[in-house]
Amino acid sequence: MAFAGMVLLGGGCSSVLAPKSQSRNLEVAIITNFADGVIIPTYQQLVAKAAKVSQTTDAFTTNPGAETLKAARNAWIAAREPWEQSEAFAFGPADSLGYDADLDDWPVNETDVQAVINSNDKLTPEYIANLQTTQKGFHTMELLLFGTNNNKKVEDFSPRELAYLKALATAFDGTANSLLESWQEGIQGNPPYREVLVTAGDENNQAYLTVTAALEEIVQGVLGCLDEVANEKIGEPLETQETDGLESRFSHTSLQDFKNNLLSVQNAYLGTVPTAGTWGKSLRDLVAGTDPALDKRIEMEIEGAIAALDAVPAPIETNITSPDALVKLEAAKTAVEALFSTMEQKVLPLVQS
Amino acid sequence: MKSFPILLVLFLVGAIAAIIISIFLGNQTAATPLAGGETTVFNRASSAYEQPSAGLSEENFQRHGEGDIAFEAVFVTPPATINSGLGPLFNNASCVGCHIRNGRGLPEKGQLLVRVSQNGVPPSNEEFSEKDYYAEAIAPAENATPVPGLGTQIQEQGVYGHPPEGKVEIAWQEQTGKYGDETTYSLRTPEANIIQSNGKPLPASVMTSLRIPPPVFGLGLLEAVEDKTILANSDPEDKNGDGISGHPNQVWDIEKESLVLGRFGWKANQPNLIQQTASAYVNDMGVTNPLFREPDGSEDIDRKTLEVAAFYVQTLAVPARTLLKDSKVKRGEELFAQAKCSSCHVSELSTGDYFIPELAHQKIHPYTDMLLHDMGAGLADGRPDFQATGTEWRTPPLWGIGLTQTVLPYSTYLHDGRARTLEEAILWHGGEAEVAKEAFVNMSSSDRSALLRFLQSL
Repeated sequence: MAFAGMVLLGGGCSSVLAPKSQSRNLEVAIITNFADGVIIPTYQQLVAKAAKVSQTTDAFTTNPGAETLKAARNAWIAAREPWEQSEAFAFGPADSLGYDADLDDWPVNETDVQAVINSNDKLTPEYIANLQTTQKGFHTMELLLFGTNNNKKVEDFSPRELAYLKALATAFDGTANSLLESWQEGIQGNPPYREVLVTAGDENNQAYLTVTAALEEIVQGVLGCLDEVANEKIGEPLETQETDGLESRFSHTSLQDFKNNLLSVQNAYLGTVPTAGTWGKSLRDLVAGTDPALDKRIEMEIEGAIAALDAVPAPIETNITSPDALVKLEAAKTAVEALFSTMEQKVLPLVQS
Repeated sequence: MKSFPILLVLFLVGAIAAIIISIFLGNQTAATPLAGGETTVFNRASSAYEQPSAGLSEENFQRHGEGDIAFEAVFVTPPATINSGLGPLFNNASCVGCHIRNGRGLPEKGQLLVRVSQNGVPPSNEEFSEKDYYAEAIAPAENATPVPGLGTQIQEQGVYGHPPEGKVEIAWQEQTGKYGDETTYSLRTPEANIIQSNGKPLPASVMTSLRIPPPVFGLGLLEAVEDKTILANSDPEDKNGDGISGHPNQVWDIEKESLVLGRFGWKANQPNLIQQTASAYVNDMGVTNPLFREPDGSEDIDRKTLEVAAFYVQTLAVPARTLLKDSKVKRGEELFAQAKCSSCHVSELSTGDYFIPELAHQKIHPYTDMLLHDMGAGLADGRPDFQATGTEWRTPPLWGIGLTQTVLPYSTYLHDGRARTLEEAILWHGGEAEVAKEAFVNMSSSDRSALLRFLQSL
């Protein structure tokens, strides 16, 4: 009896072997394109735009004027795009080597930022490196560039603020480069993090024992991003109806951040960075190969969530108490939650199985 | 008509096979050791330590979410409209700044901590002057004696205008060793060079102990283990003659104002998660709270925030194991028991009654006995903490340890992060664990590799 069972089991196994190895090939192609076609191009864009932040800030601080200020502000807003589009895959060295904190810690320590401005401290690279993460990065630059309520004028900038801004922009540029380097070439004697991801399942891979685990990384990253947008980034201000909790409230660009987070999800799912022209195998191929209707549904829900955010009257910083904005914000939250549920209940099991 | 018996035979064979398969699968399910019992989650990605326990009520799920926000909150210098209360001295500005992704930290500034103390009698409540130590939380009664001007921990950062207490530089010394089969290995030891803000080194009389942040998931389950369950494994006199003499720490409970069993921290010097959390707020972030107030009685965060942050770690799920059917993993698990690793890294405990009912009465697989053990001279910090001697450490849980590098690449193992790999961590074992370590050293390379594979599957 046991023998009969074994034979049947054995037969069952060999009949699924062929499609299994095909699906393994697809899985490896997906994680490889995720690293090379999504993560690295996004960080490359961040590096390019961080350089622009540094250049335009140099130009503004050397020659303060309405035009140079506008250019520096636009460069800052442009750099937010790739950064917020990296939100769905913020794992790896971004966190463990502290780049995320240096670039984007929040809120700003306004008391200590003011103390630096009021002091005569020499703003050397070492000094900037030793500042708290809430005294540098995106949001301190934002405070200095835009003022507390997008209301700063050229004549409001003190020489000290200009010097501080310039030093921060230089450090920011350096950190963005280190982040890309950590993925692409390796940093501090470590191999490029790209290798860790694409060699998932190899005997000596310490991070991903199976290819499935690396694939799950993509889905869990998407879930984490959607959860944060729905429950923290939108959810908190919606509940308090105060601007304090809005991410980019100084520049009045919080809505853009949320939208870029959704684009991050879209890019992760479709395996592309449209603005970089990259494209390859993705989660979408896996889903569509099993359940084309589910793929359609996900694509529609992503588009729907983006459209729901687009419908919120901008800037949310000045509209947060308007009934219309609250209704639209609630609708956006609901749309993001719907996408989250689909990803969690339909896509995650598909990947984990 | 003719084909009927053949159909019947096929039917019977199929039915028998189905029964065998169902028994096989049924047994598999029953035998699957779910790390955190019914609260276990299935996640082998970098967010594996960031999941709420499975099965939380809607209300507790919401509360976990609120706690998540508190745990992530980055504190800033007062006055501020949001997250006010940082410092004046601190090591990091948020819980998550040290416990990145709730995982194990690196031996680097902002994550590495140096505990200090000196010989002498610990101060009583009356003698203890908070202003001498920047309001550092020092539990009185038989604990370490604080160092004047430094307290019991070196804060490496200060808000503007407050110089940090010191600067810690780590130099690593390498030493080599050999396995039974002559394969060589290399271990590194940290040497901390601590320079005070006045430029002077620490006096030689000051005892120091380096610590990295431990992972913070699954802690509610460990809190829910009853004292008697922990004490059942205690054998301080080694009466059973197995060479293992674990004993619990006895530590000061601030709210009960009495000595109780110690559970958390590298030396089990914290009795519960509220006190652990409150102590981390005040010592690591300079954020005063209902357990550790400002000298004038005020506090930076209220009871609700403290409790919700503690609730977050109490309800962080343990991830399920992977590759359970892998033959190498199975072999490694057998070797883990044969080498007597499981004498201290006890694979199964049960939780008792608990204020979060979802975590109560669970069969869990933490691979710890929650007890203190002599780990030998190699790992000793020489700094006693309550009942823990300078050579004793609490058995750390091993559940989820295989995800360490997934959650936080480059993070390392043991109390001061000296072990770069799990293999090195094993090789550092001494004292009561010397025999287990020797068993590992004398294994064949394929057995060593299987044991490590098992650990990675956790």
